[in-house]
Amino acid sequence: MSIEVKNLVKKFEDKTVINDISFKVNDGEILAIVGFSGSGKSTVLKLICGLIPYDSGEVLTSQGDIAMVFQYSALFDSLNVADNIAFALHERKDLRKKYKESEIKNIVSQKLELVGLKGIENKFPSELSGGMQKRVSFARAIVTNPNIILYDEPTAGLDPMSSTLIEDYIVTLKREINAASIVVTHQMSTITRTADRVIMLYDGKIVFEGTPYELLQQNTPYTKQFVTASLEGPMQMQA
Amino acid sequence: MITLRKYLKQSVTYKVLNGLMYAATDFLDTTGKIVQLGLHVLKCICKFEISWKELLTQCDRFGVSSLPITLSIVGMTSIIVASQVAHEMVKQGGGNFVGMLMTILIVREVGAIMSGFAITSMIGSSLASELATMRVTEQVDAIDVLGVDSVRYLFVPRVLSGAIMMPFVVIVASFVGVLVGAVTSDLFASLPYRAYFDSAYLGLYMKDLSVCIFKAIFFGAAIALISCTCGYFASGGAKGVGLATTKAVVWSFIAIVVLDMVFAVLFFY
Repeated sequence: MSIEVKNLVKKFEDKTVINDISFKVNDGEILAIVGFSGSGKSTVLKLICGLIPYDSGEVLTSQGDIAMVFQYSALFDSLNVADNIAFALHERKDLRKKYKESEIKNIVSQKLELVGLKGIENKFPSELSGGMQKRVSFARAIVTNPNIILYDEPTAGLDPMSSTLIEDYIVTLKREINAASIVVTHQMSTITRTADRVIMLYDGKIVFEGTPYELLQQNTPYTKQFVTASLEGPMQMQA
Repeated sequence: MITLRKYLKQSVTYKVLNGLMYAATDFLDTTGKIVQLGLHVLKCICKFEISWKELLTQCDRFGVSSLPITLSIVGMTSIIVASQVAHEMVKQGGGNFVGMLMTILIVREVGAIMSGFAITSMIGSSLASELATMRVTEQVDAIDVLGVDSVRYLFVPRVLSGAIMMPFVVIVASFVGVLVGAVTSDLFASLPYRAYFDSAYLGLYMKDLSVCIFKAIFFGAAIALISCTCGYFASGGAKGVGLATTKAVVWSFIAIVVLDMVFAVLFFY
């Protein structure tokens, strides 16, 4: 077990956004969380990595680091690419004295090479395209060799080719570091190309759990509505 | 019953009370956050958990880049005061006290207060908008997820640089203020420089200077802490950034006046 979520509940004021959900993700496995906007997908990620507290339930994770790739990359715009990637190594209490500057430089180069962006260490985030920013944020996330990686809509706003590239990196990273990964997305290509399993959220609850193949078979009203992107079905868009 | 409730909700009294209630809650909430984060910053400073590189950057921002605007504001305030005071005092035969009066006024109050206002407008607003933008673009979340204490990384160098650089800014600004007072007194009331500076020297007390420096340390730390706190808890996109910046400026102005009042009562009453 790498991540185990048990009966998780989160309320914002009176509204229950996550309503008693449970699931597991094993090492080297990618779980896709899908659902329409506002279904609570990103909230689940923030609850798992501790950015927001949950009201009840449990989140159990195995020892080690949790990394997150944010929807809009969230690179530090005042730092260059190298400093962005090395941020945790420079600033984290337990890592600050562990590496020499030359070692950090090597780690940064390695991680950049892994995401196919060698030689851009001195560029600033504003000088990079959306796809490149996303890849740099990948490199920053994996700099501590985490055993859990959370992706919040990693291909949102990218062109199809960049999306494919990002999807390939998600799979490569899974292979390279054997991390348990959760990908929040509503892009079908990301689900089919990366995920081992899929859960679908609606109104804070899990309404489908299965493989990408089972999702595409549209055997339930929820999967049918999601795959065909229909307005007719059990899931109603919030006004 | 429902009609009565609806009627009450529409009444002016209800709206005024509701507004007051909201303001009181917001005041207590913000004060609590400032105190809580202030204690956290103090703890980090005591443990020497300081990013020295970032501290130098912030010191440059706080002390050096803000100097031209601060000196201009204190200098112009000095012109306004000296042009009116020198003329009247010379007319009443008190020309020999103009330098003393200007020095006491500038060293005790004008230098620190006007520098505080200038720094708030220039640096405080930029600190708040910077942190607020980082918050709404998830950069603060990214710091936390990477396992770095975001308060230590963002607040400590900024608050510390405020406390270190503000006394320097206030001393330079006060010195310029006294000099500008001399030039203005000469131009507006034909007061000789010698008479002005002899009297100014008599009005320069060590206690005033010490209190001025002490006060400046608190002003600098308060401006940075309040501005960072307002930015750190921003939400809601571009509008949230704007609201956080406005709040930071208003709260810093109020804090400067309140702190100044406390210092005046403590040291000069």
